[in-house]
Amino acid sequence: MTNEPVGVLIIGAGASGGAFAWSIADLGTSVLCLEQGPWMHQRDYPTNFMDWETRASGPFAPNPNVRRLAQDYPVNDSESPIQPLMFNAVGGSTILWAAHFPRFTPGDFRVRTEDGVADDWPISYETLEPFYTPNDRMMGVSGLAGDPAYPYHEPPLPPLPLGATGNVVARGFERLGWHWWPSDSAIISQEYGGRAPCINLGACGSGCTQGAKASTDITYWPLAERKGVQLRTNCRVKEITVSENGLADGVLYYDADGVLQEQKAEVVVLACNGIGTPRLLLNSRSERFPDGLANSSGLVGKNLMFHPYALIRGIFEENLNSRRGPTGCTFWSHEFYKTDRSRGFVRGYSYEGSRGGGPGMSAVWGMATGRIPWGEGHHEAYARVNGHVAGMVAITEDLPDEANTVTLDPVLTDANGIPAPKVTYTLSENSRRQLAHAVDRGTEALKAAGAVDVQADPLMRTAGWHLMGTARMGTDPARSVVNEWGRAHDVKNLFIIDGSIFVTSAGVNPTSTIQALALYIADSIKKNVGELFA
Amino acid sequence: MSGSASALGDATFLSALLDTLIPSSGKRGMPGAGGLGIERDVAASIAADSAAGLPVGGWLEALYAGTPGFATLPAAERTGAVEAHAATNPAAMQALLRRVYLAYYQHPTVLVAIGEPPRPPFPEGFELEPSDPELLAALKPRQK
Repeated sequence: MTNEPVGVLIIGAGASGGAFAWSIADLGTSVLCLEQGPWMHQRDYPTNFMDWETRASGPFAPNPNVRRLAQDYPVNDSESPIQPLMFNAVGGSTILWAAHFPRFTPGDFRVRTEDGVADDWPISYETLEPFYTPNDRMMGVSGLAGDPAYPYHEPPLPPLPLGATGNVVARGFERLGWHWWPSDSAIISQEYGGRAPCINLGACGSGCTQGAKASTDITYWPLAERKGVQLRTNCRVKEITVSENGLADGVLYYDADGVLQEQKAEVVVLACNGIGTPRLLLNSRSERFPDGLANSSGLVGKNLMFHPYALIRGIFEENLNSRRGPTGCTFWSHEFYKTDRSRGFVRGYSYEGSRGGGPGMSAVWGMATGRIPWGEGHHEAYARVNGHVAGMVAITEDLPDEANTVTLDPVLTDANGIPAPKVTYTLSENSRRQLAHAVDRGTEALKAAGAVDVQADPLMRTAGWHLMGTARMGTDPARSVVNEWGRAHDVKNLFIIDGSIFVTSAGVNPTSTIQALALYIADSIKKNVGELFA
Repeated sequence: MSGSASALGDATFLSALLDTLIPSSGKRGMPGAGGLGIERDVAASIAADSAAGLPVGGWLEALYAGTPGFATLPAAERTGAVEAHAATNPAAMQALLRRVYLAYYQHPTVLVAIGEPPRPPFPEGFELEPSDPELLAALKPRQK
């Protein structure tokens, strides 16, 4: 292995790393990405096998503490009601995501101005709009233009079919006069860019064997490599190193054989998600940066935001074949998205239509919710549930709180002996009220849709997909970690491009915005390259 | 293998236990879980759970040791024994049921019985109902 110095070194090949690599390749300098996981192969995904549901909850489980693959690192989540989820591979968590692809709304960047809480972002929707659109094209987004909840934009592909589950629940929203709209989904509804369209496998959460669901290993990375970007897999970065003048000058990393290597670089870019990024910064202590790299504000690892989720499901008389189709991509609703203080909380939440589980997980869900007994009554109860479930999740806007943190666990380490992260998180009263409201209104919608039985999980534990806020963006170095274009205030050749830099979380999935930010930061670097070290 | 010292190694015990959890139903045309040959898969997954720190293996051994001749008991007595044991550790019972349900509902015979094709989802996939045109028509005047 050669470790020739490179111009740009990216750490992490997921949603943001892939987008950034593809864009920054135009700079004309050498670009290398180190990824702790391997390339995935669609032939290995669970839906190739009869026991796909078992595999989906084992080696393809979203929780690294359950999966425990060689490329995973453990996360101490004993002090969090929400378990952090992620996947470590080329493509990162886009391998397992549902591919729901909402943008942030303009108001999501102005929370302080609009509602007097949290902070405004130093950039606006208009800043990111030129990057949302090409990102939609690169990922392959299906949707219906004209949603009144958003500034006008045209997804490149027509919307996915709602299916019986989407139709029945959308009718409930329609009867109540509530906003709903077919989702923007990073799942292709037609052949696109050499990829075949969705065939409704119903298992988006364990990898798309068809390749219809966008993950950056099949969207950005092949094109980035064609531009000359090097991608080195199974390489886990231990720490970022700094030169005598306080600049980042490379990394120490463990290669696939567990041998410690040194890689020098002129620019270092972190794309490790809202837990992996602060973990690496905190592990990069030195005489010059005793509290971790880029941490003069003390905010690295603080202000962790999830999206607290509620799940509301109805059981319907008719068979909806509810395991068929994209798992989470039917429609969304912004009916309760903006602040209405009469509800008892600030900000709000979105709903996203969801489907039922596969044959096995339908039984497991029925057991867990007391609807399907074992023994004599099993088959009758199962027949009422399997295929008959439709519902929604509520994604609530989580507000930043410095007490919610990612720190280094004093004991736990990964397989290379690198200190593991510990998550400390308390659900706020505002979030609790949002969730309760979402359950009540969601129940109302499902009853309006004709559900004969409604079940709700008011706080989903295995739902910590969205990891945000732990290296926040801002113009004040005392109150933020990176500036308005992702550059660390303390280290001018260090950039962060993942969800860590979010100032607020909005009430929608973050990946579209994470990737737009990555493209925007790459563009900013290209524009400012002459003054980068001035 | 009846008479083995281990619940997970006693296929007769496991088969009877599976039939107790998911009995056959002539009315629904559903097979019992004990007659499908899934005992080994269930035992392997329980062993893996136990290795991961879940209590189900030890809990199952206690049922096995505490109910001699379980497989030869009348169905109602087997049900009573499992109910009583489940009450001692509901989490272990749920872990057991999760493994049994997944194994059962992935079996081709069962998939056919519930109206599903006996194959993995890929490569054939599934048809999905189109969007209701009336619903989409209702959105037209709201489009920005």
